[in-house]
Amino acid sequence: MSTPPSGLYQRRPRQAVVRELLQRARRRVEALDDRALESVLEDALYSERKRLERAPAQPGERERVDRLARALVRGDRAARIDAGLDIVRYWADEIHGHFDPRVYKFATGLLPRAITGLLSRRTANVKKWRLSPDQRMRIGGDLDLLRELAHESTLVLVPTHVSNLDSPIIGLALYLAGLPPFVYGAGLNLFSNPVMGYFMGRLGAYTVDRTKSARLYKDVLKDYSVRAIATQHHSLFFPGGTRSRSHRLETKLKKGLMGTAITAWQENLVSGKRNGEVYFVPLTLTFQLVLEANTLIADHLEEVGKQRYIISDDESADARRIAAFARRVLDLDASAVAHFGTPIDVFGNPVASTARERKEQALHRRGYVTDANGKVEFDEQRDRVYTERLAASIERAYPGLAHVMANHLVAYVAWRCLEDNAGSTDEFRLVRASAVHRRIPRAAFMERLRKALAKVHADIQAGLYHGSLPEDPAAVLKEALERFTRYHTHRAVASQGTDIFIEDAKLCLYYRNRLAHLELEAS
Amino acid sequence: MSMRVGILGGGRWGQALARLAVAAGNEPFIAYRDKKDKPPHILPSTNDAPQVAAECELLIVATSAAQVRNAIQLARPGPRNRVVVAGRGVEPQTGTWLADVVLEESDVLRVGALAGPAPADEILNGGLCAGVVASQFAEVCELTVRALHSDRYRCYRSDDLTGVQVSGAIMPVLATLLGLARSLGGSGVGIHAMVLARGLAEGQRLALGMGGDPATLSGLAGVGDLVAAMSQTSHPYFEAGKRLAKGKRDKGPEKLARSLAALAGANGVEVPLTRALVGIYDGLDPLDAVSALMQRKDRPERW
Repeated sequence: MSTPPSGLYQRRPRQAVVRELLQRARRRVEALDDRALESVLEDALYSERKRLERAPAQPGERERVDRLARALVRGDRAARIDAGLDIVRYWADEIHGHFDPRVYKFATGLLPRAITGLLSRRTANVKKWRLSPDQRMRIGGDLDLLRELAHESTLVLVPTHVSNLDSPIIGLALYLAGLPPFVYGAGLNLFSNPVMGYFMGRLGAYTVDRTKSARLYKDVLKDYSVRAIATQHHSLFFPGGTRSRSHRLETKLKKGLMGTAITAWQENLVSGKRNGEVYFVPLTLTFQLVLEANTLIADHLEEVGKQRYIISDDESADARRIAAFARRVLDLDASAVAHFGTPIDVFGNPVASTARERKEQALHRRGYVTDANGKVEFDEQRDRVYTERLAASIERAYPGLAHVMANHLVAYVAWRCLEDNAGSTDEFRLVRASAVHRRIPRAAFMERLRKALAKVHADIQAGLYHGSLPEDPAAVLKEALERFTRYHTHRAVASQGTDIFIEDAKLCLYYRNRLAHLELEAS
Repeated sequence: MSMRVGILGGGRWGQALARLAVAAGNEPFIAYRDKKDKPPHILPSTNDAPQVAAECELLIVATSAAQVRNAIQLARPGPRNRVVVAGRGVEPQTGTWLADVVLEESDVLRVGALAGPAPADEILNGGLCAGVVASQFAEVCELTVRALHSDRYRCYRSDDLTGVQVSGAIMPVLATLLGLARSLGGSGVGIHAMVLARGLAEGQRLALGMGGDPATLSGLAGVGDLVAAMSQTSHPYFEAGKRLAKGKRDKGPEKLARSLAALAGANGVEVPLTRALVGIYDGLDPLDAVSALMQRKDRPERW
């Protein structure tokens, strides 16, 4: 395994991190005029009070909020800033969590074995089990380049987000790929599961409380991310913001945290830091079956556009459920595929493959943020546009990294047949379609599967995306049907006599959606 | 503080922009291509376009739309440059937005477009006028305003690059149609007003369909430019329309109309006037084109 940049394991006292975040927050609020300051603090007060109406307060929380309220009514500017920063101090401490670089180093060494144990029934032989990228987890991409970049720069991994198992699985993928560990923000709700919480807290996860909606809180989070990247911690963001409810590849990415990489890179330029370049690495994670599929698709269908942003009671909150999923699904060959994309710089441009070219690129790149004398000019508005461009590059990269799996393809074809049988493309109608419409004569199904499979093979050959499907449609169907029996109570698609039957239309839609961006056959 | 303003193109439009830069207290630096393009000695100029790109943060491209790609290839601007295209809408050969041509041909990211009713001859004769610079980057607008805004030329800012580019692209098409309408037998002010109002609606639909702001068409780049075209009998596109009524074709408006129709089609936007012009270039009799337009089904005025 490659050695990560030295900054990763530097011991940094907790108080120093909190102090640094406070300084950043102070600089920001002190730059505001009275009116803007009042607005930011009132927003913090309102959001915190609303949150405390719904959730129990931690010790001292109410007192801090009340102090802010009093300062806003009676205090002068200095008192207001102090009261606001008092809350920021608490948030900064919470975000930093229990992250300890020494524990981090130890735990990341432990991770692969722990995940292996989770993935394998052969727990007794974990020590002997050889981790092979060709078995349970397949990994694609230019790993040599990534390893090289991990030495000379800071990487920001931006994966698609399907399941709460993503972060430990990505941790395993990083290990198998010979890459150092990454820090990432994990929802506070995820720590409610003792198994997940144990791993995440010790694997570089910092805490993100998505019930806190104040602008001031989001700024502290961004500051934490800037600090992490600027101190050369490889970082991981899920730019989709939350798990994809529909299972479609993300197309509308959140840009807040992405922008922090541009800021951190500029700070590195100012400080003249060696190895100060920051590169983004898109990653598409594809699972044959998804632990929380039932809950996610139900949430998607409940009311598109008004999904619950945080789901705290799904399958991933149940340790026994995770264990069952691991036994039945993740133990399969190639149950998950992680494909790393071409690294791109903070402006969305591809990173060169040789060190010499990269040096030239780095010199050239400075021009986007420096004046005629080479001095860095910070400009938030400009950086927002740059971030838009970066996000667009990442969005464009995802489809090309996706893997087509047999059960996704079968669900795709079955859904197309359902659309034709019911004479509609309205997914809300189709998930309630009658059994008559959900029944597809096998011969007709196989003919459509044959055509779709031929298109998939042609597309893979053309390098449009990835997959390792059998040539024979019958083999694809067999593999898919076997997968669908593995975990879910109802099968998405099943074989019934001479027919193919959509047993659970919601699940069929869910797995079909992974390929929804592809046109594999004319409707 | 005075700034150096790079101008790519030494023709009359480039010279006019250089005069505006001088009026704003700045120093223009023109890159010309050949002797034909060389501006008068009073304006600093060179045929070394990369030198202009190296010495000036802001470059204004003042060539015809068809020559923008070539100008950028010659000048080779880099990440530090901000490039504002002062041409009309789309590249006729490819139908690519001119700002996108800059992105395709260079490492520049900070691009913008300058549009509005600013006839080169009037500027060179000391006339007053106004324009609008649009860019996603506020700093590009600010730099352009600093470069050109004076008591002779009011330079407004906009963040609607798409809207300004759509305006710049559709105005020549509408000016051609207005020239055509004026020359058709029996036409009066009614048909003029109809082409103008419905043409603007067409532009607004297109802007909206491409992610721009329809209101931009009501500004200097839209209505402003169209009024200038109508009021100026020698306007090249207005003249092209009059010639078209007599069966004489000009390649400029034809390519532009075809590019716009293709763009509209790709974005699912209805552009009946532009399509009528394409139909005429395809051989349809102008009176038949008018008749077909008049027979279209009734609809609400908005969209």
